[in-house]
Amino acid sequence: MPPAAKIRIDLNSQVPAYRQIVDAVRVLLVDGTLPPGSDLPSVRRLAMELGIHFNTVGEAYRALAEEGWLDLHHGRGAKVIARGAQSAVSPERFQEFRVQLRNLVAQMRAAGVPLTRIAAELRAAMEGLNQ
Amino acid sequence: MTNDLPISLLIAAFTGALMLLIPHISPRRYFFAITVPSGFRASDAGRTSLRRYYAAVVCSVVITVVVVIRLDQWWGQLLPVVAMLAPAVLAMMAFLFERSHMAQVAPPADRVREAELSREDDHLPRWIALVLPPFAFPLAATAWLRAHWDEIPARVPVHWDAHNVANRWADKTPRAVYGPLLFAGGMMLVMILLTLAMFYGSRRGRQRDAIVKMMVATIYFLALLLSGIGILPAAAFSPSVLMIPGIVFPVLLLVWVVKVLRDPKMPAESTPDNCWYLGSIYVNSQDPAIFVQKRIGFGYTINMGNRMAWLFMGGFAAALLGLVFTLPR
Repeated sequence: MPPAAKIRIDLNSQVPAYRQIVDAVRVLLVDGTLPPGSDLPSVRRLAMELGIHFNTVGEAYRALAEEGWLDLHHGRGAKVIARGAQSAVSPERFQEFRVQLRNLVAQMRAAGVPLTRIAAELRAAMEGLNQ
Repeated sequence: MTNDLPISLLIAAFTGALMLLIPHISPRRYFFAITVPSGFRASDAGRTSLRRYYAAVVCSVVITVVVVIRLDQWWGQLLPVVAMLAPAVLAMMAFLFERSHMAQVAPPADRVREAELSREDDHLPRWIALVLPPFAFPLAATAWLRAHWDEIPARVPVHWDAHNVANRWADKTPRAVYGPLLFAGGMMLVMILLTLAMFYGSRRGRQRDAIVKMMVATIYFLALLLSGIGILPAAAFSPSVLMIPGIVFPVLLLVWVVKVLRDPKMPAESTPDNCWYLGSIYVNSQDPAIFVQKRIGFGYTINMGNRMAWLFMGGFAAALLGLVFTLPR
């Protein structure tokens, strides 16, 4: 039996906990670790495991449901659903991604990460999420 | 010299030995109830702190021994109580001093939390059914008492002193005879409910399984001990026999706890240091867990910041109070 998918959040991070949960779960959804039909823990259980308020997990689940990844059942947790074909991303949204990506690369450069390493990481991330 | 002096000195020494063990019967992640990085215990700061604590405990035992010997005639029956409480309180003060020192010198703990995204372990394990067989003890004891009803004397002992001599009796009535066994069954039921509450009200992981197993073992111990007490009115054995499981079980439990805590794979929960008071009281309204892993010893403690925990404690206290009324007076 493969090990269960895990997420990690850092409560000292400036990124809000709900955003960290959304980002971490989305990675697992995109790379196929959590295929359609997978059951996620209930809001109560995940909040307890992470030691954070129920509302934080509830907010994260709702955000993922709005993106079309999850089907929420009151009191029974969430189920991963097959996501329909996505319409082409709008130019405005694409521009947001571009800005985010540039900001991230700038942060990595500012922290002293060489360009070759950044390129390798981006390639690895793309390959990992494309499986 | 009174009769209580030798036993009091023994109690003081035993309590001191137990207090020396306290820093070692806690999850490895914690040192004096403060989160520390792995290897911190073996560092200079860690060893100095431990040595200072040991010295304080030894001093507390020496002070207690001197006080107990000098006040032997004055304290009377309170002497064993003083011999137990004095080193425990003094050593606890030393522990809290080291804890506050550790909070200043230990590097700040990270607040990374990890969770499995699965619903596995949300259901009770099958072995939890092991809580049912111990009910056979009080049931068998009840059947045995019923079969030997005529042999039960008109007055039955219902209380024994520290020397195992009966010092209170009650008339032979169904309540006086069967009451302790009803109490045993009720107590076991309360323990099962407590185990279930711990299972569903705490975080998943090996520590939860270990603590639940400890609860199941305690139910067996209670069943054996309370059923033994229940048949005393008609049985021809001394109550002191029951001290054997009363000593053996805690010793076995202590050995097992030390073994579990030395297991490097045994996780320790990541709870914020600033939500712990006196090293053992946890108050965190942001944490949905009702039960959290203790930082001193092994087991769970209540999250006082959770409203459900207060409801649970109220129910638990009411259940215990109700059970006490089943006992003969």
